[in-house]
Amino acid sequence: MFDAITKYLGSNATPGEAGSMFWATIYILIITVGISLAVISMNWLERKILAHMQVRIGPMRVGPHGLLQPFADALKLLIKEDIIPQDADKLVFWSAPVVVTMTAFTTFLVVPFGREHAVTDMNIGILFMLGISSLGVLGIIMAGWSSNSHYPLMGSLRSSAQMVSYEIAMGLAIVCAVLMTSLQTGTGTLSMIGIVESQASQHTWFIFKFFPLGFLAFAIFAIAMVAETNRAPFDLPEAESELVAGFHTEYSGFRWSLFFLAEYAAMLAVSSIAVTLWLGGWMRPFPTWLGGSTWDMAFSLFPALTFFVLAGLCLLGAVRMPKIPQMKIQTTGLAIFGFLLGFVGLLLIVPGVRERVQDIYWFVVKVAFFMYLYIWYRGTFPRYRFDQLMKVGWKILLPTGLGVLIATALWGLLPQISSSILGVLP
Amino acid sequence: MFLVDLIKGLKVTFNYQAPSEAITEQYPLERPVIFERFRGQPRLKVDPESGTSMCIVCNLCALACPEQLIVVKGERNPVTKRKEPISYTYDLSRCMFCGLCAEACSTDALELTQDYEMALYSREGMVLDQAALERGQEPVRYVK
Repeated sequence: MFDAITKYLGSNATPGEAGSMFWATIYILIITVGISLAVISMNWLERKILAHMQVRIGPMRVGPHGLLQPFADALKLLIKEDIIPQDADKLVFWSAPVVVTMTAFTTFLVVPFGREHAVTDMNIGILFMLGISSLGVLGIIMAGWSSNSHYPLMGSLRSSAQMVSYEIAMGLAIVCAVLMTSLQTGTGTLSMIGIVESQASQHTWFIFKFFPLGFLAFAIFAIAMVAETNRAPFDLPEAESELVAGFHTEYSGFRWSLFFLAEYAAMLAVSSIAVTLWLGGWMRPFPTWLGGSTWDMAFSLFPALTFFVLAGLCLLGAVRMPKIPQMKIQTTGLAIFGFLLGFVGLLLIVPGVRERVQDIYWFVVKVAFFMYLYIWYRGTFPRYRFDQLMKVGWKILLPTGLGVLIATALWGLLPQISSSILGVLP
Repeated sequence: MFLVDLIKGLKVTFNYQAPSEAITEQYPLERPVIFERFRGQPRLKVDPESGTSMCIVCNLCALACPEQLIVVKGERNPVTKRKEPISYTYDLSRCMFCGLCAEACSTDALELTQDYEMALYSREGMVLDQAALERGQEPVRYVK
């Protein structure tokens, strides 16, 4: 049995392909912890970035620059009183956050963080992701219905209408990308790893393929995915000025934090779909143009470099802290955090580690860009009205998606069409 | 059509992210800039040479006050032949810091200083007597 465990380490396959239960479990644990950490840091970043966009400074008191604020909040949520409304449907009320969280986390089973860094490679990967993430609507409707209150019900109805209508545009955009995997090579695939590999073999990210068709499909997906995750400017289900908090109005404490976790996990999931389908997944920028071992080496230093920059920022922040006795603990804390980041950077320079984490790094960087976009949108755009939302979904995104799909298919078949016409004509 | 407005908006919020743009003032660590003509905590001046109050109990401040929150009582000092206050109360809880009293003062004894930390734990403390007015502002510190 021990042999089976160690044998996997030498292979170049996902645990699913290798059939190793043990390593699949390890991967699932790592991904769960990683997603939770990402949600925590996303919480802090969102507050900070949003605050700076609104010329505030955001959390500043709990830990240096408010770095410990998410932990304080998590602790508060965990020890809060657990309230279930008197007339609520208890079983459904209890299971709704579980359904939402489970679906949000299950999608990460097929997300390829690297060629061998995925739990498994399903041949229906993208379909699986879409199917599971659509189940999240069910949890939201359950939450709204079981609360037995007006606002949650309104919120969940809005949410379901919105998610159902944007899923169509999203699906059309995804089909475009799937078509691109098959065109010119003749072997289409729905597997997430397969899609990235076909981008590698076609020497282009699908966002640049058939310009502007790939870009248009990507744009449709990028809009639909914001609506799909109920984020600003499409956050009607949670419109606090109209619906208090939407479908989770009656939820508090740990159950509420599960909804929060699920929302951010869903954001990460759809962002990773976008990265996988259009932005080349785990591939580094310019793998062929800037090819060769020197460039490989240069690009493989990026993860360490990022951590060094972060460490430098922390140390700079520690130096610039006010020099008064009350801030001494915070200053030393920030300095220690900076040194920790620097240490992680040093670890990432080690050749063995460097090659292993490279693909994960590029994937995470691309997803982080999308996360920043989410915050950026939230800080900039006012909320859509419900009829405007439906108009954007059905009258703009859906026809454009259909058009792009047909155009992609025609463009892809162009060589065959022209050759058949030329063949028929003398 | 090409969503130029959206991009313009994104640009605005992006540029505001520079930490130097933040206008938040972290109060106990950072003190606000108080302008010259700010009217805050009232203060009764003491003559630095003789150490006696500069107030001559002319009652002009009490007459000038729209809220009538100043009450001055005084008597003539038989030695110096000057009128000196024996009780001077200033009810800060009703004060709107209009500054008419300081303007009316014929000896510039009463002034509204630039001190602003006037929060207290009891309502009674808002009525300032002569000693408190001469001492000036004493912020109450929070103790656990």
